[in-house]
Amino acid sequence: MSTASGVQERPGAQAIRSRSWIPSGQAVAGIIVILVTAALVAYPIYYLLQASLDVGEPDVRPPTAYGLDNYATLPRYSQIMLNTLYVSFAATVMALVFGFVTAWILNRTEVPFRRTLEQAMAVPYYVTPLLGALAWSLLGAPQSGLINQLWRALGGEGAIINIASPLGIAWVMALFEGSVAFVMIGAVMKSMDPALEEASQVMGAGRLRTMLRITLPLVTPGVLGAAIFVFAEMLGSFSAALVLGTPSRFYVITTAIYQLVAQYPPRIPLAAAMGVSLFAVMFVMLFIYRRIVARRSYVTVTGKAFRPRLADVGPLRWVLFAICATYVLLSVVLPMLTLIYASLQHLTAIVPSAANFTLDNFRSVLSQNAIRHAITNSLLLGVMTATIGVALTGLIAWLVHRSRIPGRGLLEYAAMFPQAVPRLVFAFGMMWAWLVFPVPIYGTLWVLLIAYVTVFLPLGLRTISSVLMQVDKSLEECGEVCGASWGYRMRTITMPLLRPGLLAAWMLLFIASVRELGASILLMGPHSQVLTPAIVEAWFTNSSERTAAMALIQTFVVGLAMAFFLIVTRRMARQGG
Amino acid sequence: MPSNAPAAHIEVEDLEIHYGPVAAVGPVSFSVQPGQQLTLLGPSGCGKTTTLRAIAGLERPSSGAIRIGGETMYSSARGINLPAERRGLSMVFQSYAIWPHMTVYDNVAYGLRVRRKSRAEVEEKVRRALDLVQMGQYADRHASQLSGGQQQRVALARACAFSPSVLLFDEPLSNLDAKLRGDMRIELRELQHRLGVTSLYVTHDLEEALAMSDRIVVMRAGKIEQIGPPDEIYNYPRTAFVADFVGSSNLIRGRLRPDLARDGLIALESEGGHIVHGVAHGRPAGAEPVLSVRTVHLRLVTGRPDGGGANGAANGAAGEEPVNVWPVTVRRSVFLGDLTELHVAWGGRELVVRCSGRADVGEGQPAFLSADPRHCVLLEAA
Repeated sequence: MSTASGVQERPGAQAIRSRSWIPSGQAVAGIIVILVTAALVAYPIYYLLQASLDVGEPDVRPPTAYGLDNYATLPRYSQIMLNTLYVSFAATVMALVFGFVTAWILNRTEVPFRRTLEQAMAVPYYVTPLLGALAWSLLGAPQSGLINQLWRALGGEGAIINIASPLGIAWVMALFEGSVAFVMIGAVMKSMDPALEEASQVMGAGRLRTMLRITLPLVTPGVLGAAIFVFAEMLGSFSAALVLGTPSRFYVITTAIYQLVAQYPPRIPLAAAMGVSLFAVMFVMLFIYRRIVARRSYVTVTGKAFRPRLADVGPLRWVLFAICATYVLLSVVLPMLTLIYASLQHLTAIVPSAANFTLDNFRSVLSQNAIRHAITNSLLLGVMTATIGVALTGLIAWLVHRSRIPGRGLLEYAAMFPQAVPRLVFAFGMMWAWLVFPVPIYGTLWVLLIAYVTVFLPLGLRTISSVLMQVDKSLEECGEVCGASWGYRMRTITMPLLRPGLLAAWMLLFIASVRELGASILLMGPHSQVLTPAIVEAWFTNSSERTAAMALIQTFVVGLAMAFFLIVTRRMARQGG
Repeated sequence: MPSNAPAAHIEVEDLEIHYGPVAAVGPVSFSVQPGQQLTLLGPSGCGKTTTLRAIAGLERPSSGAIRIGGETMYSSARGINLPAERRGLSMVFQSYAIWPHMTVYDNVAYGLRVRRKSRAEVEEKVRRALDLVQMGQYADRHASQLSGGQQQRVALARACAFSPSVLLFDEPLSNLDAKLRGDMRIELRELQHRLGVTSLYVTHDLEEALAMSDRIVVMRAGKIEQIGPPDEIYNYPRTAFVADFVGSSNLIRGRLRPDLARDGLIALESEGGHIVHGVAHGRPAGAEPVLSVRTVHLRLVTGRPDGGGANGAANGAAGEEPVNVWPVTVRRSVFLGDLTELHVAWGGRELVVRCSGRADVGEGQPAFLSADPRHCVLLEAA
């Protein structure tokens, strides 16, 4: 071999080398992201803890004395705890039944219109418990509810259902969490190798025996994980209990916290202690959930989805179809139709009469300046939250899964942390935190923006991470070895490959922000009204028909914005080639 | 190597890589001369890919040093760790890593554009690289429209396009089917010679390593078992692991019988009482000497080979008793196509013999087993 080859000529290396003293873009971005995330998450939590330990004089801050007295008084509110447990447990059981049955039918049987039904199963998530609670209140209130009106018109006595009862609240919560349970349990069923069941059948076991001895034990950990996750969500859920329970003075822990903060005089330290206790319980449950999920994925090793063999169920398949269709009907079609029907009437009555129909509700709602402002504010916040959120969670996802910086595990933990804190409780800490912040942003849209970005960190991170993990790592490493700097790699390789994930995250964040209630209701000020709390306020102070009109306007506006976004991004994608 | 040998192009010195408390690699040291190809060979999980990735800058070592072209890329002592993008290397990935959102042309042009080459230069070098791998007419295709073999070629063109002085290969052929792999093996070797580029190649495939390398590093459990040119690795395995991994071997344990040694050969009395003559290859015999005989180097015939060395097995002088000839019984015979594998009873154990084509000895029949003493190699003392 000749000695001249190679050693002297190292094209590119020299030119690239000369910049070596500049801190790399990756390091700078990493440090900024870590600091921002830590501040967003830790700052409000610190103030929440501080408030819960405040036993000094009320209204004096910082606290004059610390102690555990607030926690010691909690047992006096055991009725609220029992209410919470009762509603959450009932709702979890129902949601799991909905989720398991529909997941089994759609993943394991030859049900007609499988694809359509599967897509329809995602819709309840977008309808949200708040709209569901409004609609179901119109349907099932003991006196005015349409179903009870119908019952009496048919000769019945009193009320056949009472949606304001604990079971009624649980029913509404379960209807909308059912689609989450469906997705989680469906994923478990999809990841199961059908050969495991086939092996059982080949050895002579019947279908029932296979189901009991093989299928069930295999899906149990996944279903258990889903149960814990759903239960934790139920503990922190707010809107259904607020709309349905508050009028009859039935409180769960979240509505009690809200009541304690909103009443006069407020009892902030007690509310904080409740919030901390709630989040401690949810934190433990989500920790257990993560442990279960992590262990399971360890056993099945491959994350690959199998195409399960579908059971031929004969004419029974129409029954199964009806079951799924009923779920979609109860959680989507019926609520939306009810809202439309109610919004078009002076006073909601089951028997339509021409004189009762009107467009006044829409007219009066849209003529109010406050509501028009609220719509503008919500859309503005939605766009900003989605844009900032995608940029931030995109960077977090990349740093967590791709970088070699130290502390990336901690970063993921911090970003996923808001998952364990009900948004109302988080906003509570934020309220305190930003009240003392040197820059006066409390009561402005900025504080709402900060709150939204923080509470939706887990949503954005999960969405982008799931796409990022499907992208082969070596695609980026190849750019690295080719000599491309971090910024250049991001621009030419990572971002284009992540595009679908980034767009999906943008949409989810946008929808979630416009629909947000728990954080907004505490943080909005007189000059920073947003739409969802305005809807709830109208529900309590105004006519339910007008509230229905507002809810529909919100749905319509969100739908319009989404359509616009989809068209624009499609066109951009086409032009970009 | 003469003392005026050129300075090594890639130098790896006492490299160690830990994952937490687990030592994945090391310490390992080796070097690659300019223009040569060195192959890291070993079973999966032996740390060969981790070593390669550490050289590329994709994995952070725990200690040691890596120098390329005399410049330090990594040194734990001096606190240097250049990021991958500043090492000026090039790499072909196991999964090819062809960017699916770019055309073939853009893929190959990437490294040149990173280096801010002029449009004309990019154009010219991309064309040249694509022609080199005979993919010129596919420049405008998207990566998703290519077959596995074509993707492999594009990955190669992309790695060569910006004329790097060092090429790293991470099992580049393992995702191709056997026939294509054979063709690509030859092509890669020719390309490497034509470009005169220093390469470091990782594989678990013995044939690939033997066919393509100037030198081979056999690794096992993060440590180096043996370094040497292909024929030396094959003919003189240093350890039982190398003997077995680099083509299957029979290992014969026993004690040395210096009294029977002759003609520069050593003699070993096996545990079953057979005397086997072999070569020491300059290695001292330890307390438990082991001889290695490849299964393809054992011969099986029906009639007793005579002392004249007619069958090439015994090389004793005429009239003398032939060495390494034993009467045996065939226990099992497995036809494998190109080869037939025979298990023969030999001194209380079985030896495996592989002979080309069909064996002329059937199961249960007596036969004579012989081995050329030059192929019975003493392993290094453990």
